[in-house]
Amino acid sequence: MAPSALQPPTRLSPAAALALSQQAPAILRSSTSIAYPPPLNKLLSGSENSEKWLQYENLIMSCLRTGDDQAAHACLRRLIVRFGDDNERVQALRGLVKEAEARNNGALEEVLKEYNQILSGNDTNIPIAKRRIALLRSMGRLSDATSALVQLLDFSPTDAEAWSELSDIYVSQGMYSQAIYAMEEVLVLAPNAWNIHARLGELQYMAATAPGVASGSYQQYMAEAIKRFSRSIELCDDYLRGYYGLKLVTKRLLIEGALAAKQTEGSEFTLPDTNTIERLNELATAKLSEIVRRSLSHDRGWRGYSEGDIAVARDLLGEDESQVTR
Amino acid sequence: MAQVPMQTIHRDPQLFYWILFPITIVMILTGMLRHYATVLMASDPKKLDQKAMREQRALLHGMNLRANYHVLSKPSFTARRDALITAFESGAYLKDPDSRGQPPPNPMSDPNAMEGMMGMMKNQMAMIIPNTLIMSWINAFFSGYVIMKLPFPLTIKFKSMLQAGVATRDMDPRWMSSISWYFLCIFGLQSVFNFLLGSENAANQMAQQMNQIGPQAGQMFGPGVDPNKQFLAEAENLAVIEHHSVLDGVEQRLLEGIKM
Repeated sequence: MAPSALQPPTRLSPAAALALSQQAPAILRSSTSIAYPPPLNKLLSGSENSEKWLQYENLIMSCLRTGDDQAAHACLRRLIVRFGDDNERVQALRGLVKEAEARNNGALEEVLKEYNQILSGNDTNIPIAKRRIALLRSMGRLSDATSALVQLLDFSPTDAEAWSELSDIYVSQGMYSQAIYAMEEVLVLAPNAWNIHARLGELQYMAATAPGVASGSYQQYMAEAIKRFSRSIELCDDYLRGYYGLKLVTKRLLIEGALAAKQTEGSEFTLPDTNTIERLNELATAKLSEIVRRSLSHDRGWRGYSEGDIAVARDLLGEDESQVTR
Repeated sequence: MAQVPMQTIHRDPQLFYWILFPITIVMILTGMLRHYATVLMASDPKKLDQKAMREQRALLHGMNLRANYHVLSKPSFTARRDALITAFESGAYLKDPDSRGQPPPNPMSDPNAMEGMMGMMKNQMAMIIPNTLIMSWINAFFSGYVIMKLPFPLTIKFKSMLQAGVATRDMDPRWMSSISWYFLCIFGLQSVFNFLLGSENAANQMAQQMNQIGPQAGQMFGPGVDPNKQFLAEAENLAVIEHHSVLDGVEQRLLEGIKM
């Protein structure tokens, strides 16, 4: 699929981002920056739509990523002309451009000071608050970033993006139960997001396999991980990540076998019996190999998987086979 | 049966150019004027300060939890519920915790509420004034004429609509008076405005009236609503939830649901 300037470019591969930023001159040329007064604009420059501005925004990001600062500035100028200098989103984008152009830590400190200044004037400027948090994080000041995020979430607890960022920070520090809490908040805001369900399963698995976990909570985590992965598959058929996680968890449980037998009483989720785990494992193995096979042979309707994911899934399946032959 | 003789009225053809076109053009121009007047007068959406935003979003957070509790496991739901209920009942999220329990202030004295009402008044004025002016202009200059004959036959019921201002009982309803043309313009120019001003224009008052009848979504946090009471109600709603999780038995559902 060719990259479109309408999608946010955060997940693009480097090659795709490069291709996108190479479109920038064409896009910039195709639309003039002169604003005609209506109704002349109808006749001269086509209708204004929000897609155009979204396109500029995404172009800025991929241009910065590929080092085309000039085009990024051109896009930013158009956004400033249209929305004014003090629009919150434009301010955040300008900050982003400055961050990207900063060559050393001192320049980043400057940008940070600017953010603080903006926030002291207007403490509900959420785009800037988020930029500040991202900047703190990329400067390595994790505790500052965490406390800023917690403060943001205190007055805006319905922000799924912020919750998942918080979860990510906690994971990077190994604080799994906090990370799980934050991820559950995302789920409360988006109850049917299968990727979040799978992510939560991954977090539970990480928490279970972290060193120094008591065996009671280990089983708890594993049991909920199975449930989360199952739910994510239930919501999205042929979801590779869900099957991968399911297989990973059930495989581990089957190897440990004996440990799963003794159940702790009174806990919320108990591990399913060995028979169910085996069947789940079989299901996940079969589905994974189907996905890998079909995707490698480029069948119709099976092309959306990323190559990296397929390769990892194949490795997991290969591990299985080598154990069997041994 | 004798054929009803064709009614012919000898009109000055100039009537057509000096009444029909002027009315249409004036209607279009006032529509555009009204659009720009609304755009200019529209006050920016009021910026919330941090406390007010916190109050609203905390309430929304509670509602989200109430709606989507089934994605959580029981312990994590109970922890959240207990925390939220305590906070809601103690008024921890209130904008000004001191005014708890006091009767809500008179919405007339609240400057924010006044601003909202002023905005509505302005919109109303932008609709009423031009309409009154044009109506009286047409009445003063063009009343009492028949200006055109529609090219298609109509039943007698249309008489009152098309021949307003011309009280002639036996005239064929196909004849049309200037006031009627004005009314037709009011109702029929929407597509012209859509073309000229874009589809979100404020030129047509019909659309605006529809909006006023329509949703009252802003009412939830509007003036005159006591946030403390909302929080208490929400706490109660949370407290009565009987928890069940979507994760209960999900493995079995999965094994049964997916056939290889």
